[in-house]
Amino acid sequence: MAAFGSGAFGALPRSGPAERVAISGGGLCGWLAACLLARHLPHLRIVVHPASADEETRPDRSLGVPLAAEVLLPGDLEHIAAAGLRGGDLIRHCRGSFMLGTALTGWRAAGGPAFVPFGEIGAPLGPVPFHQIVAAARARGHDVNMANYALGALCAQTGRFAPPRSDDASVLSTLSFGLAVESDALRRLLRDDALAHGVQHGEAVADPASLCAAADLVIDARGAPEAWSENGGEQGGEDWSALMPFDRALVAKRAEPGTPPPPPPPYAHLSALAEGWQGFVPLAGAMTETLVFAAAAPPAEVTGALPEAHRLAPGRSAAAWQGAIVRMGAAAQQHDPVAGLQLHLALADVVRLIALFPANADCAVEAAEYNRQWRERSDCAFDYTVLRLARNGAKGAVWDRLRAAALPHRTAYRHDLYAANGRIALHDGEVFETPGWVMQFEALGIRPRRPDALAMTVPDMAITAHFEAIRKAMLAGVAKLPPHGAVLAEVCA
Amino acid sequence: MSEPLRHPLRRIVIAGGGTAGWMAAAALSRLCANGTTRVTLVESEEIGTVGVGEATIPPIKTFNAMLGIDEDAFLAATQGTFKLGIAFEGWHREGESYLHPFGAYGADIEGVKFHQIWLKLRAMGIPVPLADFNMAEVAARMGRFDRPTGDPRSALSQLDYAFHFDAGLYAAFLRRHAEARGVERLEGRIGQVLLHGETGFIEALRLEDGRLIDGDLFIDCTGFRALLIEGALGSGFEDWSHWLPCDRAVAVPCARAGGAAGPILPYTRSTARAAGWQWRIPLQHRTGNGMVYCSRYWSDDEASGTLLANLDAEPTGEPRLLRFTTGMRKQPWVKNCVALGLASGFMEPLESTSIHLVQIGISKLLALLPDRSFPAHERAEYNRLTAIQWAQIRDFLILHYKQNARGDAAFWQECAAMPVPETLERKIALFAGTGRLFRYDDELFTDANWTAVMTGQGIIPQAHDPLADALDGAALRDMTARMADAFRRTARAMPFHADFIARHCAA
Ligand SMILES: Cc1cc2nc3c(=O)[nH]c(=O)nc-3n(C[C@H](O)[C@H](O)[C@H](O)COP(=O)(O)OP(=O)(O)OC[C@H]3O[C@@H](n4cnc5c(N)ncnc54)[C@H](O)[C@@H]3O)c2cc1C
Repeated sequence: MAAFGSGAFGALPRSGPAERVAISGGGLCGWLAACLLARHLPHLRIVVHPASADEETRPDRSLGVPLAAEVLLPGDLEHIAAAGLRGGDLIRHCRGSFMLGTALTGWRAAGGPAFVPFGEIGAPLGPVPFHQIVAAARARGHDVNMANYALGALCAQTGRFAPPRSDDASVLSTLSFGLAVESDALRRLLRDDALAHGVQHGEAVADPASLCAAADLVIDARGAPEAWSENGGEQGGEDWSALMPFDRALVAKRAEPGTPPPPPPPYAHLSALAEGWQGFVPLAGAMTETLVFAAAAPPAEVTGALPEAHRLAPGRSAAAWQGAIVRMGAAAQQHDPVAGLQLHLALADVVRLIALFPANADCAVEAAEYNRQWRERSDCAFDYTVLRLARNGAKGAVWDRLRAAALPHRTAYRHDLYAANGRIALHDGEVFETPGWVMQFEALGIRPRRPDALAMTVPDMAITAHFEAIRKAMLAGVAKLPPHGAVLAEVCA
Repeated sequence: MSEPLRHPLRRIVIAGGGTAGWMAAAALSRLCANGTTRVTLVESEEIGTVGVGEATIPPIKTFNAMLGIDEDAFLAATQGTFKLGIAFEGWHREGESYLHPFGAYGADIEGVKFHQIWLKLRAMGIPVPLADFNMAEVAARMGRFDRPTGDPRSALSQLDYAFHFDAGLYAAFLRRHAEARGVERLEGRIGQVLLHGETGFIEALRLEDGRLIDGDLFIDCTGFRALLIEGALGSGFEDWSHWLPCDRAVAVPCARAGGAAGPILPYTRSTARAAGWQWRIPLQHRTGNGMVYCSRYWSDDEASGTLLANLDAEPTGEPRLLRFTTGMRKQPWVKNCVALGLASGFMEPLESTSIHLVQIGISKLLALLPDRSFPAHERAEYNRLTAIQWAQIRDFLILHYKQNARGDAAFWQECAAMPVPETLERKIALFAGTGRLFRYDDELFTDANWTAVMTGQGIIPQAHDPLADALDGAALRDMTARMADAFRRTARAMPFHADFIARHCAA
């Protein structure tokens, strides 16, 4: 019993809080869970069991594809900070680089590259949302690039960035940023932190169910199963390969040449290829690369490398938490990583478990709620990912097939509503709020057919003045910022 | 490829001039500025309005702000008072009472919600009352009021409030606002709703004197009659009376207790009675009273007799009887008609949510305003969101009835035994176990609202969230003692509610 536990004030009832937690799988997902649980719930006794004796030498599939770099979204950083971990440590130890969004090339039929920033775009005009103002301006014949009104996009263009200070009242205070980190370094950082907070190493165990005897709660963090339909004999798993057809991924990391190497750009880059897609996430001093495609129709240049490709099996299980076992990260669901949500989804799982940690041996109520919330988040990530894959303007036979594919009702509804009038249908469990959805639709070349009636009541002059005022404030704000590289160097010094 | 607004709405017709009709007119008057859209409201003085609906909840301040309404002028014009919450008397058990205040409880500590800290203190044998940690509640109990400050360090910043006002004066106030901005008002009785032969869309309203009022979009604010949405378009009704069995109300005003110099309590009171409950709404010039009850258990005479026997002062009018069925229109938006207010459905005024539902109906409509092609998407989204919002309020109301321990009357026993919606069942189970609350889909009610009513209705969680275990108990005890003291001192420094009104917004 830890010193601050309520046990210090009296005996706990017999069916007290679950205290022994066994984690199966010592990958990034497992240590993430161990570290955050240990920091938030110091009374737990946590043991991490590798899934096999040689786990350390195998690719870490606990989040899905063993990407060389992972991205923490702006909201994720708050959870990391709430656990008491410091962003500066992540930057220093994980070659961290600030992320302001993603540049997308080749995803829309017409127009050049697009930028999908984190955070707000523009500012509403009275009751009218900014993107509806843009639609109205376009309907009147103006050519508007929405990214010009996103602070993150302007910073990315100019390579200037610094985290806003809390006392900054300028437009900069709205700047929203994530962080790219080297996956394996993050795993080691979390592991060391967890061990320092009392988490223990256990022996290798292949089947998480065998841990139930010695633990109140077992976390399965071993990564995706071979097939979702027969995941550990369970019924009702879903196979998503029809809408996420790519089943192979090649990952690489190369050091950036030069001493010192050039500062990393503060954004990721995603290109649509005829046979799949290619992603680049920068780290301090290195560039990581991911190539995702279908084994049946690989890009010509990778045929030699096929045997090295990692398997990707999109789908999810019927329920993440069953009995005393909670499947986390890719053990519960795997999405095509095109939206960069692998780490985010695993972290959301951990945060959710902490918020619902059973106080009692009977955890049916918590498990039901956990599963409900897990499924909602999973649905939202699914919609965001599938719309990027199946409603874009990319060129290639696989994309043509995807565009022709029928979407589930709710995914189609989101698309159709926006395409009709620019409204974003939000649900419980969203990863992205309205601006994130709007900018994704923009990047895919999807624009509302009809502008908003209320926006059309705003006179042209008022719109122009509004645009100018925003742009001016933003440019003035960005000009004050130092180069991204200088800020990273300062953090690491 | 965008199709510019080829068919902007030329005319919006609002049928009905009660609170709903005039709220819609005031908000939609902004469209008159575009030079294309006319807004016309038809009402019948002969039919009149429902005449009740005088207590509100805090988001109404957003509506006022959207219209640019000056709060003091608005209160002076409507004999309005401030509301800090609702006192529930006898809802859990006869003789017990609790206040459901606006605003949050205490302050979260290191990411742990305040009510969890409260639960932890209880488990440590320090039973501090939760009520001591809500600014509105501490002030309400002293009969005091002040407006919150913007300074987040001050306890006063935690205070939230709404209003009580005279329903008739409120509609008149909004009418002046709307007419000043170009809304046209027609007096007359709607006799017939004319539909297009093929599409079934509403083409026009025919008044009994023969006048025809054509339009593109029709807003049905005809109250319980629901002339357009149900009478003409047959939306259908989803009946919730198996969960909320009250189906009648009787209302009567009485004089302000203590006369013009008497105190004015800054909250609504709801008192449980044998087959329903009684409301009391303090205004500047009078007190609104009423009884909401279930006709299977009480005759109208029993209800009005109990009401009249329990007034603070002499009644100043005759009791008025109202009948209703709790539930909502299956589709609040059908073809080119959107229903607002009582025409869209009814939930009893237990948490003063009806005017709020009008308000959020209007903001959804503004955000989804169609053009004359009336694409199906707007309608679908409006109906989807409306159904979610109504169901969330419904669950909150059911909670008050379900969790009663009044073994005294058959009505209350029936309520305690009824099965509740699965969504509510889950909420209760989570709270009863570890006091956990999760807010869904931008839900109106926050953790504080649910905590107030769950605990008020006797659900004390078995355990606290293990997250609170990491916090030092002795430090928490001292910290919360200082917090409660700050609330108490701040409240004592506030003026009495009646004095505040006299100084700022006397009618
Ligand atoms: C007992 C009770 C207590 C309530 N308490 C609260 C409360 O505390 N807080 C709260 O928020 N809400 C409360 N409500 C709800 C609130 O009263 C209503 O939501 C609000 O008043 C809106 O009513 P309305 O405008 O939809 O309908 P009404 O006030 O009934 O208005 C209907 C309008 O339509 C017109 N009309 C009808 N038929 C015709 C016709 N044929 N031709 C022309 N015009 C016509 C009428 O003349 C009138 O102008 C309460 C309701 C009841 C029944």
